[in-house]
Amino acid sequence: MTVAEHGIGDLAAARLWAATTFPYLATGVFGAQVIAEPGSGTVSVDESWRMRADPELTAQWSPAQLGSVLIHHVCHLLRTHGERAQGAGVRPDEARRWVRAADAEINDDLVPAGLDLPGRPVLPRDLGAEDDLLAEQYFDGIRHASQAQSGAGAGAGDRPGQRAGGGLGGESQDRSAPSGAADTAGSWLDCGSGADGMPRPGDAPGGLSCWQAELLRRQVAQEVIAHARQAGTVPAGLLRWAEETLVPKVNWRVLLAAELRRAVAEVAGAVDYSYRRPSRRSAAVSEFSQVLLPALRRPVPEVAVVCDTSGSMTEDLLAMVLAEVEGLLRALGLARQVRVLACDTAVAPAQRVSSARQVQLVGGGGTDMGAGIAAAAALRPRPAVTVVLTDGYTPWPAAPPKGMRVVVGLLGGQAPEAPPWTRSVRVTGLAPG
Amino acid sequence: MSSRNPAVEALGVAVAARVPVLLWGAPGTGKTSAIRAMAEAMGLPCETVIASIREPSDFAGLPIVVGAEVRFAPPAWARRLAEAGHGLLFLDELSTAPPAVQAALLRVVLERAVGDLTLPDEVAVVAAANPPEQAADGWDLSAPLANRLCHLAWQTDPRSVADGLAGGWTAPVVPVLPDGWEAEEILSRGLVAAFLHVRPGLACVPPSDAAAAGRGWPSPRTWEMAARLMAAAGAAGTGDDARSALIRGAVGDGAGVEFLAWLVEMDLPDPERVLADPASFRLPERGDRAYAALAAIAAAVATDPTPERWTAGWQVLGLAADAAPDVAAVAARVLARCRPDGTALPAEIHLFAPVLRDAGLLPG
Repeated sequence: MTVAEHGIGDLAAARLWAATTFPYLATGVFGAQVIAEPGSGTVSVDESWRMRADPELTAQWSPAQLGSVLIHHVCHLLRTHGERAQGAGVRPDEARRWVRAADAEINDDLVPAGLDLPGRPVLPRDLGAEDDLLAEQYFDGIRHASQAQSGAGAGAGDRPGQRAGGGLGGESQDRSAPSGAADTAGSWLDCGSGADGMPRPGDAPGGLSCWQAELLRRQVAQEVIAHARQAGTVPAGLLRWAEETLVPKVNWRVLLAAELRRAVAEVAGAVDYSYRRPSRRSAAVSEFSQVLLPALRRPVPEVAVVCDTSGSMTEDLLAMVLAEVEGLLRALGLARQVRVLACDTAVAPAQRVSSARQVQLVGGGGTDMGAGIAAAAALRPRPAVTVVLTDGYTPWPAAPPKGMRVVVGLLGGQAPEAPPWTRSVRVTGLAPG
Repeated sequence: MSSRNPAVEALGVAVAARVPVLLWGAPGTGKTSAIRAMAEAMGLPCETVIASIREPSDFAGLPIVVGAEVRFAPPAWARRLAEAGHGLLFLDELSTAPPAVQAALLRVVLERAVGDLTLPDEVAVVAAANPPEQAADGWDLSAPLANRLCHLAWQTDPRSVADGLAGGWTAPVVPVLPDGWEAEEILSRGLVAAFLHVRPGLACVPPSDAAAAGRGWPSPRTWEMAARLMAAAGAAGTGDDARSALIRGAVGDGAGVEFLAWLVEMDLPDPERVLADPASFRLPERGDRAYAALAAIAAAVATDPTPERWTAGWQVLGLAADAAPDVAAVAARVLARCRPDGTALPAEIHLFAPVLRDAGLLPG
């Protein structure tokens, strides 16, 4: 571990600078192994938390600059950019754009916090985007911009978004992968597979295994949160990352599907065995015994969907959730039984629609889901499961409707809680997967 | 490299330890063929039972009146396994089994009881299931059944698919556990017990939402399972990834990760013991562990800065300064701030001046 072993001068000072300037990332900085790789001309990182640095390149930087590059690379690993690149469907020829998007995600709050990268760092405004977005969102923006460009005959498409301004001349000085002037051909430095998930020839086995990396990530996240509680000087984006790492977001689609399946299964008794009719096997075994065996029964429950159509609802989200619900019910073999009710105010009668496309947000206040649920209960045949899709700003009945299970989809992150007698799922927009 | 798939390795360990294991994976990813190939490679009889097309009586036994009592007759596959004395019971399509069949499976999975017949201890139970969102008519696994199995995610790595297509699939290898490996179980049970003393809230956490109910969750039974799997993984010399997959598979992701993090922390030296005898300090090899160890020692000194403890703290940092000057310097800054009145400056303080100056943290 000595500096001499690494062959990189100032590494100790750089790490010390990084650990003191960003104390909440210290564990991450010390957790990454740094290996000297003369002649590579870059500082890159792989997904096993190993950094390879060209001593000649780093010799040109001050300890603070090298420390900043270490922090930047650690953030690539903390935010699992390599893995997310695969999730975002980044093709090898798009890796550079992905890295720029990933850089913007890191830099948008760390550069204001004192990150001193050599060259000019990529910031969201260089990509024509706002701060505080995710790499996936920045990447989509770049993709669209480049498609628009190539559509207009710009060709190559390797020069997405706007050129980073700044106009720094010293190309060899410019560490341009995460830094500015990024498109100047030849000066692009490789951040490594830890940033874009594309395997490099030098990535040998070793380093930290997946779960060790996962534990290290959680450890850093805990320290970020602890630091924010004590000193309160953690950049907001990093804090959000830490919170999401420790309390992972649940995909609402999975949750909604599970709740719906459970409600239907509980009501229907699922595909289950009942003594209502004797099993056909009884005949086969009756030579030996007089035992009555149960047979497989599948009662098919009625399902109703009640949609809140008040003006505060988001149309896209509602359409998406409705489509999801219809798909789920179809998978359960219940598509024909579904009736969709659009419900707005307490006075207006619930209207019956046959598909998600017909639901219109009529606007106006005074939503009452109680009326919607009552309307669903009045349907004949009576539905056994009712799915309510609402933004939550509505009065609810005090008691559950008799003989009917209610699954609530709460649309939007700010929606107030649904009553405890429902099974509620929070739908928070476009979840991955 | 590609053959060391942690899920495959973990499957081998679970079968060797005779812990019921369930593979979750998309249809067509080779779960069934891997399990059959494994049984063939071990020379074990393998009985495949598709749970979704069976009736409860196939697992609970077919009731037959014999004289004045009802016997529960086991099906032929159970008889064959019992006669062979060993083998693999493979329950396929577990998540598409109707709830009543899942209920009937409870005793089969954990106690190996099929009707009135009890399968020999040497029979391993392996199951496979498609995640409910991927199977057309899937039901979530009932929480009691989920709690009796170690859940492994069967992932397909594009590289190993390519290798398998080109060069044939390799059967998972079931490690041969050395005699007396179960003695190690006492040690791992001790570790689990110590962890649960610190985090009693994790001893039993029934799942709260419907989606989580079908996966592993912490309960006394699964903690016991985790201890057994940990001992078996240790005896088989498996990789860290497989060991972690087994522990998380038994008690669920949340509790499993907490336990693994605690194990890592357990490896760190006790700060008080180090301060009592600074010469005994050995710097952990990994940078983040070294940082955790030194930061803990510095924090221990800072909470009670007597001159002896303070000087002992500097001695420890002096030992670490050569191998990890940057890590030690971070701790040195903490110590420098809590100097007890009238204590002489230690000699070690000079070791850190150059690196602090280079980092721009010292004037001059």
